[in-house]
Amino acid sequence: MKPQVFAYHDPSSVEEALELLARHGPGAKVLAGGQSLLPLLNLRLARPEVLVDINRIDSLDYLAEESGWLRVGARVRQRWVERDPAVRRAVPLLAEAVRYVGHVQIRNRGTVCGSLAHADPAAELPAVAVAVGARMVARSRAGAREIPAEEFFTGPLSTALSPDELLVEARFPCSPPGWGWAFVEVSNRHGDYALCAVAAGVCVADGRVRDARLAYAGAGPVPVRLPQAETALREGWPLEDALRAACSEARRLLEPEADIHASADFRRHLAGVLTERVVRLAYRRAVDGAGGARA
Amino acid sequence: MATRWLGSPIKRNEDPRLLVGQGLFVDDVQLPGMVHAAVLRSPHAHARILRIDARRASQHPEVLLVLTHADLPPALKEPLPKLIPHPDLKHHKTQYALAPDKVRHVGEPVAFVVATSRAAAEDALELIEVDYDPLPAVVDLEEAAAGRPALVHEDIGTNVAAHSVQRVGDYEAARARAHLVLARRFVVDRGCASPIETRGVVAQWDPKARQLTVWDSTQAPIPIRNGLAALFGLAQKDVRVVAPDVGGGFGPKIMMFYPEEVLVPLAAMRLGRPVKWIEDRREHFLATNHERTQIHDAEIALDQDGRILGVRTVFLHDAGAYIPYGLIVPIVAECTLPGPYRVPNYHAEFRAVFTNKTIVSPYRGAGRPHGVFVMERLLDLAARQLGMDRAEIRRRNFIQPHEFPYDVGLIYQDNAPLIYDSGNYPAALERALEAVEYDRWPEQKARYRAEGRRVGLGFACYVEGSGIGPYEGCRVTVEPSGKVFVATGVGTQGQGHFTSFAQVVADALGVDVQDVHVVTGDTAAFGWGTGTFASRAAVVAGSAVHLAAKAVQQKALQVAATLLEASPEDLELADGYVRVRGAPSRSVSLGEVARAANPLRGVIPAEWEGPGLEATRYFAPPRGTFSHGVHAALVEVDPETATLRFLRYVVVHDCGVVLNPLILDGQIHGGVAQGIGGAFFERLVYDGSGQLLSGSFMDFHIPTAVEIPEIEVHHQETPSPLNPLGAKGAGEGGVIPVPALLAQAIEDALDDLDLEITQMPLHPDALFHLIQAARRRQP
Amino acid sequence: MRIEGNETLHAPRDRVWALLDDPQALAGCTPGLEELRPVGPDEFEAVLSIGIAAVRGTYKGKLRITERTPPLRYGVQVEGSSAAGFVRATGVLELEDQGVQTGVRWSGDVQVGGALTLGSRMIPGIARMLASQFFQCLDRKLQEGAA
Ligand SMILES: Cc1cc2nc3c(=O)[nH]c(=O)nc-3n(C[C@H](O)[C@H](O)[C@H](O)COP(=O)(O)OP(=O)(O)OC[C@H]3O[C@@H](n4cnc5c(N)ncnc54)[C@H](O)[C@@H]3O)c2cc1C
Repeated sequence: MKPQVFAYHDPSSVEEALELLARHGPGAKVLAGGQSLLPLLNLRLARPEVLVDINRIDSLDYLAEESGWLRVGARVRQRWVERDPAVRRAVPLLAEAVRYVGHVQIRNRGTVCGSLAHADPAAELPAVAVAVGARMVARSRAGAREIPAEEFFTGPLSTALSPDELLVEARFPCSPPGWGWAFVEVSNRHGDYALCAVAAGVCVADGRVRDARLAYAGAGPVPVRLPQAETALREGWPLEDALRAACSEARRLLEPEADIHASADFRRHLAGVLTERVVRLAYRRAVDGAGGARA
Repeated sequence: MATRWLGSPIKRNEDPRLLVGQGLFVDDVQLPGMVHAAVLRSPHAHARILRIDARRASQHPEVLLVLTHADLPPALKEPLPKLIPHPDLKHHKTQYALAPDKVRHVGEPVAFVVATSRAAAEDALELIEVDYDPLPAVVDLEEAAAGRPALVHEDIGTNVAAHSVQRVGDYEAARARAHLVLARRFVVDRGCASPIETRGVVAQWDPKARQLTVWDSTQAPIPIRNGLAALFGLAQKDVRVVAPDVGGGFGPKIMMFYPEEVLVPLAAMRLGRPVKWIEDRREHFLATNHERTQIHDAEIALDQDGRILGVRTVFLHDAGAYIPYGLIVPIVAECTLPGPYRVPNYHAEFRAVFTNKTIVSPYRGAGRPHGVFVMERLLDLAARQLGMDRAEIRRRNFIQPHEFPYDVGLIYQDNAPLIYDSGNYPAALERALEAVEYDRWPEQKARYRAEGRRVGLGFACYVEGSGIGPYEGCRVTVEPSGKVFVATGVGTQGQGHFTSFAQVVADALGVDVQDVHVVTGDTAAFGWGTGTFASRAAVVAGSAVHLAAKAVQQKALQVAATLLEASPEDLELADGYVRVRGAPSRSVSLGEVARAANPLRGVIPAEWEGPGLEATRYFAPPRGTFSHGVHAALVEVDPETATLRFLRYVVVHDCGVVLNPLILDGQIHGGVAQGIGGAFFERLVYDGSGQLLSGSFMDFHIPTAVEIPEIEVHHQETPSPLNPLGAKGAGEGGVIPVPALLAQAIEDALDDLDLEITQMPLHPDALFHLIQAARRRQP
Repeated sequence: MRIEGNETLHAPRDRVWALLDDPQALAGCTPGLEELRPVGPDEFEAVLSIGIAAVRGTYKGKLRITERTPPLRYGVQVEGSSAAGFVRATGVLELEDQGVQTGVRWSGDVQVGGALTLGSRMIPGIARMLASQFFQCLDRKLQEGAA
């Protein structure tokens, strides 16, 4: 398990990095935390000719709240997001979900943007991005563009980024008042990719769900948002009926793949069970005014 | 004997060194000029090799040597040695160092490359062209037994390597008069040990001295040395095998040989340079032995009081592609099955079957978890049918403390009669039940239920054969410095021998345990022995250590008696001195005694048995000794997500006299963790073409500290009469009953569903489908 | 690993069949196909370059048309290997006449060997993604042809 020979660059500016990506095209790979890329290299499943290490680009190391958005630069480690009180306040779902990513050691190195760019269909953070409606900021030498999360994930391990683009920032909208968020997951062990996970937000006023967001990991080729289940929550009443309707929508509409860990019907079943659990939790948080995650 | 050290929970001598990274594992061996090997492995489960072209690899600028079967010397072209033959093992097929014309499992070595770096060696592997003609893969065990869809070894005309029957009494007659006969099929699927340190070999050849030194992460350095000497035509004295620190063995490292163990020395001899090969994790999953798959069709016959009249098990054992290690696993399984119960009539019959999968040899438990799973499940299900309490059915069938030695009537893995030496089975169960408050369980369970929680209580009993022969030996030497050096042939893979053996010696010689330095696993330090397996090191090597230490003690007294002009009976050993009892000022240090025992002039009396404060002794037990225990646990089941959480885990463990409770607890904790892993989290999943789909830690889920509960250990001590320490083996007890216990606990937690768990390991998806099926059956 | 799915192609069944029956047209829509050389009746040597994110490889192998029942069923078998391992797949397409459009029921069985087995969790999803690219391309061709 030794990688094939590759050329290694560690630019100190975004411009240099973009230059390298433009020069080497699909033969180049960005190295962020390396928690997904290095295993692939060592197994020789990935054989890039060039690695562009972005760990020396200090300008990508920022976490900022700005006009209703939490901006997460490409070098921000998952552990930072997990521990920062501002994140817990602004995007509580992100703070809660990130703890399900591997273990502390992994999160010390792994980056938020790396997880998004890696686009594992069972990963937590892409589901969060879809649930809250995050936007990905991609830059290439040609310029910058913003890609809504729902358009960013195009397939298993596949995104809308082109080979010469760097994901420089992920932007998460800050949670508006009245919303409660929650993330639940079933995995074989703590720290594994989800057999199924659901990220949810509900906006509650006078005890009624006014708005809802639901996104699933491990339930399809990309993180899946389920507008039909959201509608069921919004329009159903009393809450128990709404929940039942949302769960049955989840079971009906999701098309998870089977793999060695879980059959498709188990995943579908989990999606239903977890929908109920996550919405109850989010609802309670919205009502309590806790806004989001456990402290 | 004063036992200041033995029996105390002292910390391990080896830990400071290991914890600060000063251990010496095989990959830590760095030699000048060392080069690196990599192995080309079959990507197919079953295929004919039509052509191998290694020319491009040989031309790689960093490549020094490429070996295929054709390049091997005659002795290495033969199949590797057959270990542990058995009359019922008709087809003792063993693997080749490099496959000649056919590959029989994914991962089987096909070519071997040595280059200046491992990375270059891996580059070169990709340059070797092999044309395979894939054959149908033999994956399903029952199909395999029927010879379908192909023969793993065509020349024997069958996939059945062995058919073996053992009988006690007359099961058919017992069945005919039974009140209840309950039959079930039990399936245990593959598992593997996953030691943190994978295998690894470094070899160095000194062409002038004609001496070969091999560092090998093995459990059996001495047999490896003897085998290498025979293969390469060297004297045993000219081969040194060192198993330095070994980062976990658990059974698979007892093999002899794995192909790399002969290929690395061969390459070192060909090249005249040290060669290193370190198995990577991906190789480990494919090329280090697995265990566990067995399908048991089992039956129990009972009278109306729940007394066992007889048991029958007819089972298939998946041997994998070859069967180098013989029939140990299925024999241990059938011999463990009766457990602590009186089984007057017993019929055990198995077929060991070749499949196109990784080779099987013992892994911690080694058949015992299977036997216990079958027996405990039969009792649980029978109790249910009889409307009897599951503890009560066990109480009625236990062998009683006065019945020892108890002859089970079978022949065990050491070819000796299976005779339990001692034990107290009822007491162990009662202690475990008390610890989990079994008598109050119905109310407690109802309370959980009222909170909406599904919690089940499970427990399981087992007897663990351990401490088998043939022998181990030990040399104890006191040097003039007063320090004590102990050398034994068994290897150490984390069991704490550097401490427990030191405790035995420290007590005998009256020295501080930290002044006792133990060397294990270096054939240059001690050249006789068999290895660390079957929970035998503490019992067999420990007893040899004890005998050698006692001999040194006697000699110290004799020598000191001359120095102190006293009679040996009036002397005592304490604090590193030999003292006249009652007159401590009249004393001489052990170091001085050692010096006096090796004089430059004068006469050595015959009773000294030679010079020096040193003695070598061997211990050869007549047969194995039998530990036993009971585990009990509270397990919470989420029936909607089919996941588990252990709330409590209690172990009552009886391995005779406890040498070091701290080390023993560690053995048990590790065992339970491995048992839980093997029962619910870890799975080796093969597809229909014989590919392993869970061959990395991404998919093979070893539980972490999050999944493993606090483990509460109670020690019960029933000494063994078979060895001077009264000790019994403790290496495997932690894992053995876990599958049986877990099945019972889940059934208890979901008792309204009337589940029957007859397969292991489980995992969330399997449990989900069991629950769904049970729900569908409900009215 | 079995995967299956349904697609709708926006052209009548005989046109769909004609396209499927034309190896060159088919080749144009097979994701990553770089070379397709006929080596016998219904048998081709193929070079595919498939890249999913960082995992990309060039697979050399054979493509065989195993069944051709116009205009109903079409079967293929593909075998390829790269340094990362090998892939063997069989696939069957069944065409259903739906007037101006055609329903395609497809199913496949994918086997992998070598290091690729470590990605088994991802393979059905990736196979489905590649299949969907294939059908989208066919549909585009059909619509271009109609225009
Ligand atoms: C033991 C273990 C457990 C894990 N468990 C989980 C888990 O439970 N859930 C989970 O989601 N993940 C898990 N992971 C993966 C881990 O979370 C990774 O951190 C994450 O997927 C990738 O982040 P990274 O910064 O390490 O990216 P890298 O590994 O450096 O890169 C991953 C991929 O994204 C690309 N990339 C990275 N950054 C950028 C960028 N800025 N622009 C463009 N492309 C980019 C790389 O080229 C590469 O293809 C686990 C990993 C390990 C080792």
